Amino acid sequence: MSKIIEAENLTKIYKRGAEKIYALNNATFSINKGEIVSVTGPSGSGKTTLVNVLGCLDNPTSGSLKIEGRQIFSANANLSEAELTRIRRNIFGYVFQKFFLIPTLTVRENILLPSVFQPELKTDDKNLNRIMENLDIAKRKYHLPSQLSGGEMQRVAVARALINNPSVLIADEPTGNLDSKRSDEIKDLLVNLNKNHGITVVLVTHNPRLAQIGNSFIELNDGKLEGG
Amino acid sequence: MNIFQLAYKNLLRRKLRTCFTVAGITLSTWVLVTLLGFNKGYENSLNNDIDGMGFQIVLTAKGCPYEAATLMLKGGTGLRYMPQDIVQNVDNAKEVLQTTQMLMHAEFDPDKGENGGTAVYMGIDPLTYPLMKPYLKFKQGQWFDNDNSADEIVLGYEAAELEQREIGDLMLLPGSDREYKVVGILNRSGTQDDGMIFLPLKSVQETFDKRGLITMLGIQLTREADAAAFEEELYKLPDVQVVSMAQVKNTIMSLVSSAKVIVFAIAFIAFLIAMSGVLNTVLMSVFERFQEIGILKSMGALPKDIFKMILTETILLCAGGGLCGILLAYAFSGISEAAIRYFLPFAPAGNIIAIDVKIIILSFFIITLTGIIGGIYPAFKAANIRPLDSIRSDSV
Amino acid sequence: MKKFLMFIILSVLSLKLFAAVGCDLNDPDRDVKRFFPDSTGYKTEYASIAKSGGQELLKKVEARLQDNFQGLYETIDVPYTIYTVYKNKEILGYIHGINQKGRYGGLQVFLTYSPQGTIVNFYYQKLTSKKSKLLRSADFAKQFAGLVLEDFLTYDPKSAEGGSQKVSAIKNPVPEDSVDFNATLRAVKKNLILTDIFVFNKKEKTNDKKEAK
Repeated sequence: MSKIIEAENLTKIYKRGAEKIYALNNATFSINKGEIVSVTGPSGSGKTTLVNVLGCLDNPTSGSLKIEGRQIFSANANLSEAELTRIRRNIFGYVFQKFFLIPTLTVRENILLPSVFQPELKTDDKNLNRIMENLDIAKRKYHLPSQLSGGEMQRVAVARALINNPSVLIADEPTGNLDSKRSDEIKDLLVNLNKNHGITVVLVTHNPRLAQIGNSFIELNDGKLEGG
Repeated sequence: MNIFQLAYKNLLRRKLRTCFTVAGITLSTWVLVTLLGFNKGYENSLNNDIDGMGFQIVLTAKGCPYEAATLMLKGGTGLRYMPQDIVQNVDNAKEVLQTTQMLMHAEFDPDKGENGGTAVYMGIDPLTYPLMKPYLKFKQGQWFDNDNSADEIVLGYEAAELEQREIGDLMLLPGSDREYKVVGILNRSGTQDDGMIFLPLKSVQETFDKRGLITMLGIQLTREADAAAFEEELYKLPDVQVVSMAQVKNTIMSLVSSAKVIVFAIAFIAFLIAMSGVLNTVLMSVFERFQEIGILKSMGALPKDIFKMILTETILLCAGGGLCGILLAYAFSGISEAAIRYFLPFAPAGNIIAIDVKIIILSFFIITLTGIIGGIYPAFKAANIRPLDSIRSDSV
Repeated sequence: MKKFLMFIILSVLSLKLFAAVGCDLNDPDRDVKRFFPDSTGYKTEYASIAKSGGQELLKKVEARLQDNFQGLYETIDVPYTIYTVYKNKEILGYIHGINQKGRYGGLQVFLTYSPQGTIVNFYYQKLTSKKSKLLRSADFAKQFAGLVLEDFLTYDPKSAEGGSQKVSAIKNPVPEDSVDFNATLRAVKKNLILTDIFVFNKKEKTNDKKEAK
């Protein structure tokens, strides 16, 4: 299986006054294409920092990161913000604990939001409808977020993350704001995306039931990998 | 969906705040358009009034009174004459649109009152004078029949009342048995012409033995002529004085210029308020959407996209307010005009608030530019939000 | 210079006032003293047919005049000026002038009255005529002294006939041209009628009211 993400000695240090906090400490691992990777660990263990670095939302302090074989961060060179944006556009989709839907836009418009900033992104109605049907939100496409349930909102957020056909879906606590029934729906959804569409899923969660869907696990403690 | 639609929908999130901001910009635009319209309209009306006087420059012999009122104050004495030919070459100057020759004559009329009195007659050229005084309208009859020596009289409104004359009636000039027929009676014009008795130039010259002489040459300049420079040229003619109506205009303009300074100062303050309102509104909305803007960046929005989005919101606010302000200024220009007329010492006839396309475009441009300036900082601030900062503000 | 400019500005921009032209003494102080040397003061009042009785009054005036008001300038709203002349508190008489259309211009015919309404003096304030000297002569004016409204009641301005013997006796100093002479007689009759309405009728009414009280 080919490697889509390769991390070597990734370290991220935050400074709080004179104190240095190691959010990531020499993390070395790789993620294969088509995997579901569950990132677990106690609060403050560096899970979010890890996926932010993997998702090119943050720079590591040191170490190296390759995505689809391309060197993103290394001791010698870091990519510019524009190049990072391009990688974010082309490879990643993001789902967060909060849905971050724009309240004045309809479901359809929220899903199409990335295309506003990505003129190269061709979003035909067929593709859009397919995504909405897969996520069971097609009948809600002209509704505003305020008219949706929590689960529906998160599914819209997932649909928005999928509109650019990402290779990797980064989901940071995607069920953190949902009850167990809705959480299960999202869980099934992620499995379905992985199985039927071959999307690599990097999943950060506290929820052991959700973490179970992973076929690979990264456990963090004080920024260090416990296994992998 | 495009960035314009996104910006528009963003503004709908806080409808009340957006409305208040637009209202502030509307008021500022209203003030601006009205003021610019006033600035233009007042000057236009004033120019029209002065153009309506027919000539901007009157050339007289040195020391000669050129107003009937002044002549009467002097008891009809003190008239001085210029030979008709000395002014012929004035016609040829490129600054001159047209000229008209006049002979004002004051004659003692023994039949006027108990001890007699002075009557003032104005000899005019039937070909040129009516063209120079287009505002003179007739209550009865018309101007002379282009015959410079006809025995005809045109009476100003008040002169006709005093003499109880209607067209077809006869009149006598003092000291002469020659009968003149009244061919026209003017409407009231509110000028000294109301009290004037007009005769063909040659008739006055012949009756009062002033052949070849005139007292005044009225000169109408072309619009582009430099009046001041031309006046200097005229002073080179021997023994003439130049009376310029430009002085009248300057005096009136100086009367209103002080009012204008205050009004423009108010407009400027209104602008500062509008601009700070825009800055405040947009900055607040940026801070409120801190996380969301970060998420947009994670979706692939570049700093310039965010900058464009925020600036578009600002431009929409200003353009909306600007359009409303222009409409209000246009709709209420009548009321504004009435108010200005009430407060101003002198208000010329005609539209003193002239709102035209140029003013509308200029105001719209100024308002939008003001908005853009007010929106640059918030847009810059938003463009520099890092996706991570917004996400981290919520989770570790 | 500034004052002069302001004068022009006001001339150009002045409000347009519309009013029919009246007939005032050119120099009331001088003229009143000339006609009433004993006078100590005078009161000026303005009256018009429009204000005193309107269209109805106009019809009455025209009936008494036996002629209609004519032309642009003889209208219902012409303001008339009446001077009441006093010697201390005692009324010495009245002065009233009217405009009348003449051959070559407007005539301004002034009459001075005794307190009882008898003509004391006749005076052209304005007259344009080739024979103005004859018409302005003291001999011509003298002929009007002592006449009263009753003398003119039967005078017909249209035919220039009628009136009492005293009226018929008034000689035209310019027999070859009767236009201004006839206009003068019409003016005198009109002056008498209007003075009767504005001054004497008014006085009687005031007295009536006093008596009624």
